[in-house]
Amino acid sequence: MRGQWTCYATAVRMTFVEHLRNRLALVIVVVFIPVWAILIYALSLEIALPFHLRAAGRTVTLPANVLNQLAGALQISALITGFMMFVTTLGSASFDRRLVRAGFPRLSLIAAKLTALVVVALCVALYATGLICLTHPTAQPLLLTAALAGGALIYGGIGIALAAVLTTDLAGLVLVTVICSIDLALQSPLATPAAASVVVRYLPDYGPMQWAVSSVALDTVPWNAAGPAACWALVTAALGISAFAARTRVHRPLGEPASVSPVRSHP
Amino acid sequence: MPSEEPVLRVRDVRKGYRGGPVLRGVDLDLPPGRVMGIVGENGAGKTTLLRVLAGDLRPDGGSVRHGGRVGHCPQETVLHDAFTVEQHLRFFQVAYGLEDLRGAEELMEALRFSGSRRARPATLSGGTRQKLNLVLALMHDPDVLLLDEPYQGFDWETYVRFWDLAGELRARGRSVLVVSHLAYDAARLDILHRLEGGVLRVADRAADRVADRTGAL
Repeated sequence: MRGQWTCYATAVRMTFVEHLRNRLALVIVVVFIPVWAILIYALSLEIALPFHLRAAGRTVTLPANVLNQLAGALQISALITGFMMFVTTLGSASFDRRLVRAGFPRLSLIAAKLTALVVVALCVALYATGLICLTHPTAQPLLLTAALAGGALIYGGIGIALAAVLTTDLAGLVLVTVICSIDLALQSPLATPAAASVVVRYLPDYGPMQWAVSSVALDTVPWNAAGPAACWALVTAALGISAFAARTRVHRPLGEPASVSPVRSHP
Repeated sequence: MPSEEPVLRVRDVRKGYRGGPVLRGVDLDLPPGRVMGIVGENGAGKTTLLRVLAGDLRPDGGSVRHGGRVGHCPQETVLHDAFTVEQHLRFFQVAYGLEDLRGAEELMEALRFSGSRRARPATLSGGTRQKLNLVLALMHDPDVLLLDEPYQGFDWETYVRFWDLAGELRARGRSVLVVSHLAYDAARLDILHRLEGGVLRVADRAADRVADRTGAL
């Protein structure tokens, strides 16, 4: 007997099979995150840089290599999650539509994609947090995990939404990379003097970046940063879900007897 | 005596794209236990019509009424390269709400499916992929089966088995609608329509066969 739980469990299984078959993404996760996190820390200058923690209402001073590492970890987590979600959503578009037309509940597929997004984001964030903690002491590792997972969730949602309008893996990778690079470059005091500007509050990774820096520089949690991050995560997830729902819209499921629609009289 | 109430009734279906109208008012009645063919030139709108009938496209106007479960086999094989044959069957088992895979296994046997159930579509031949595509459309024993050029990639033996299968479905009271750009299967069909100028007309079988032969030369 088919229940909602069976459908959801099947959809989750499908989604994880798809992710595990994406060998390139897995290699990037396993190999490039440590390379990126450790090299960027080891090779950056240790000069002190001021960083405006707008969410905490104060400016902290951190070594440039730590700031670079945090921004780098946010970027690689976001890029990997965004790319993984983009690739699986794009690659399964026709198949998902066929499954839905056969009667597979769309809600189960959506719930499975969101489950996968959360699991991927958490795994990537925990892995990156562990690596960062190995290189230097972190006052609040859980806050750092939350920051990295938040950024990954936001870009995962962007990946799902982009899969509705783009047609190739390359286009998705380029666009996610460009958006993420602009987002973090504008927040880096090393790259741009605009980092302290009020405009940065509206960037997708504003909340995650504020929390990531706070996890190293503060003993408290600046909750003000949670709102914008939650908004971005919800908006991008909603966009992704809407795009997926539009693409898999079926005018009548195939697997079940159709409800009889009135036949219009033919003139 | 079996009911002759159509299992598929189409009235005044219209559909257009930016380039202009494709379907200009299609009417169709498919009774139970019939194999119907729709032929037409490339670009006549056959695939558009089938997608409307399958619920994949919303028509601009008109109505489509199904009297039972529908199966749709698209022209291009819609499979997922990440999943094995077995996983494809399991996922569609859940989609159709089937107790087991006996129906699918019988179909695979009837079509002499030669690939391993652990294989992924990328490792299968074009014909074997098409067989899997067809099994996924048929495994829930639909009352109406919509097929878009279903035998592309089939060898002659499989092509014959496909028509045997269609005959078995007809004998069990199931209806089959086959869309093709050629009419050389006309002898195997109970009803043949030609899609022309955006409307369906009952086809002249003899003329269609001659036209196909001439076109093939």
